[in-house]
Amino acid sequence: MNCVIEGNCVKVFGKAIHALSRIGDDLWLDPMVKGLALRSVNSAQSAYACFLFSPLFFHHYRLESESEMVRETIRCKLLMKSILPLFRGLTSIERNVERCEISVSAPCDRVIFQFYCRHGITKTHNIRFQESEALQAVFASHLCPNVLKAPARLLGDMVLHFPVFQEEITLSMTSLSVSLRNYCEGGKGHMKVMHTEMSLHPEEFDSFQIGMDSDITFCLKELRGLLAFAESHCLPVSVHFGAAGQPVCFSVEDMLLEASVVLATLTDCESRAPSQPAEPPAPSSPRCADEASVHSGVCEGRSGLPGAFPDVTEVVMSSQGSPMASPADLRHLLEHNSPYRLLQEEPADASGTPASSTVCSLLFKALSSEPDDDDDDDARAVLACYSDDEAPDRPMSPSL
Amino acid sequence: MPLSTQSQGDDDQYILVASMDNGRNLSNILKAITFKDHAVFTATPNGLKVTVEDCKCLQANAFIQAEIFQEFTIREDLVAFQINLAVLLDCLNIFGGSPVAGVSTALRMCYRGYGYPLTLFLEEGGVVTVCKINTEEPEELIDFEFCSTNVTNKVILQSESLKEAFSELDMTSEVLQITMTPSQPYFRLSTFGNSGNAHYDYSKDSDMMELFRCTKTQTNRYKMSLLKPSTKALALSSKVSVRTDNRGFLSLQYLVRNDDGQICFVEYYCCPDEEVEEE
Repeated sequence: MNCVIEGNCVKVFGKAIHALSRIGDDLWLDPMVKGLALRSVNSAQSAYACFLFSPLFFHHYRLESESEMVRETIRCKLLMKSILPLFRGLTSIERNVERCEISVSAPCDRVIFQFYCRHGITKTHNIRFQESEALQAVFASHLCPNVLKAPARLLGDMVLHFPVFQEEITLSMTSLSVSLRNYCEGGKGHMKVMHTEMSLHPEEFDSFQIGMDSDITFCLKELRGLLAFAESHCLPVSVHFGAAGQPVCFSVEDMLLEASVVLATLTDCESRAPSQPAEPPAPSSPRCADEASVHSGVCEGRSGLPGAFPDVTEVVMSSQGSPMASPADLRHLLEHNSPYRLLQEEPADASGTPASSTVCSLLFKALSSEPDDDDDDDARAVLACYSDDEAPDRPMSPSL
Repeated sequence: MPLSTQSQGDDDQYILVASMDNGRNLSNILKAITFKDHAVFTATPNGLKVTVEDCKCLQANAFIQAEIFQEFTIREDLVAFQINLAVLLDCLNIFGGSPVAGVSTALRMCYRGYGYPLTLFLEEGGVVTVCKINTEEPEELIDFEFCSTNVTNKVILQSESLKEAFSELDMTSEVLQITMTPSQPYFRLSTFGNSGNAHYDYSKDSDMMELFRCTKTQTNRYKMSLLKPSTKALALSSKVSVRTDNRGFLSLQYLVRNDDGQICFVEYYCCPDEEVEEE
């Protein structure tokens, strides 16, 4: 892969990396026909971000390198701490960098970032990468009941009111208003913490679609990067979400790029329950191809489980009704859920954690280019793998 | 002026008297070489030289010519002593480290000779402080035997272009490699860190390159830990000359303009880590 970014676009690229660095410690570089995707996921797998730069963003974008015409494109995993310093000084990049060339050289497992700067200065960085399967979360945002489109600065201005250390915030939506408030874990010094709440009228939004009243609580820190990016580009931010427990997707797009951040939300029974009754899951209900779920790949034939589990190479399959998810607490969560379904698992140390405050993790499946054997563990870099200690014949939901 | 009346009668006792209306002209330049506690002061009728060494591989010198001082009196051909540089800087900044507009600290340094402390008279806003700092026998300084006739390659760059490179240098790299060649890439700084290699290339046609004189291709590596302190001198300077000789020894010379626009020099000498072939 070889691409050239000219002028101001280098700064945009740098800002995307800054936003991604808020998410995780690794950066996935995935050159595709439709563009170059930069992705990251956090260690708890509760936040995922993707920036997709279309070929138009680049002065020059070529997938194959000259000597390797037939070769497949390489997907790379880089350490964020190797890449971020290259783009740390955005003002200096703006002032000095005329052109940035990125090429992936498979034989030497390096990604080469070459900055052509003013005054005849050239900076070349050869960064080691690990060849990796692509990372992708599939989120059918078109099936979310609630959709907001906020003007560029609106959300950014609102989150300014929360202190930097505020971990989680709750977004509540009714047909009358959208409010943001800080989230405090129940009971802990409830009265000693400063509570902040802001409400917005539906008319403040470019677009306001409400399918169901809902309160979602998610981590703010990981979102700030995208909001800063949106503000600097004057791009409106779209928010797609459903009931508590379902992931929320924040996205921006323009002609040259699309960016999205998908965050897990708390399934917190303390939040206002959805006003629409959720349908109880039928154990053997047929899979509906149009039901949304974050694509979960963890159970793909790892332990020879019954094939009732969705074939993971199909996109957007609901695993509702799968015999996989059976622990009592998860079933309890399922009853409160709408048709969206995430594969839930308890955090490893959750011995005393009540189900009501379990954070759902988004499980990502590494998309492979050809279907591998289900038993071929190494071929897929499945990110959410269940513990190796799990007894293979126990058809329980895996835990991290 | 309290300073001058105080010392009028004692001047005969001192073999070295140096005064400055703005002590910052001295303290700023000394900061550029403060990577070790001890420094050797060598004074001649030409001025003052302050030397700091590290590991017997690195030597930094700050030159403050006699003309920079308002008064520079020396009664011997050579006066030398060793002193704790950190303590000296603390005293020079005794009225506060940060500069206040329109206010300067006047400085008078006096030295009676071998065995005597260095006496500093500092005055600001009518307040006088007297500091006496113990001196020591000066250690023998390394002679790098770096002379112009042995210089194989020399470039002079505007500091601005190097400042950014030095601030971005990958500190996980143990060495800084300097390559000078008559052809591409002309002048290259390279690091070899945990995440990979980085190269900073300066073309000979760059408008930041004031002089480019390269007789043969040379690549030398220097320990990053030794060169990193030179970043302070780079930050103060407007120009830097980079020279290597036939042994691969490195000389960095920085042109520093002080608050009053006067020129001082800071110089770093460094031994190469090892001889390498061009990669």
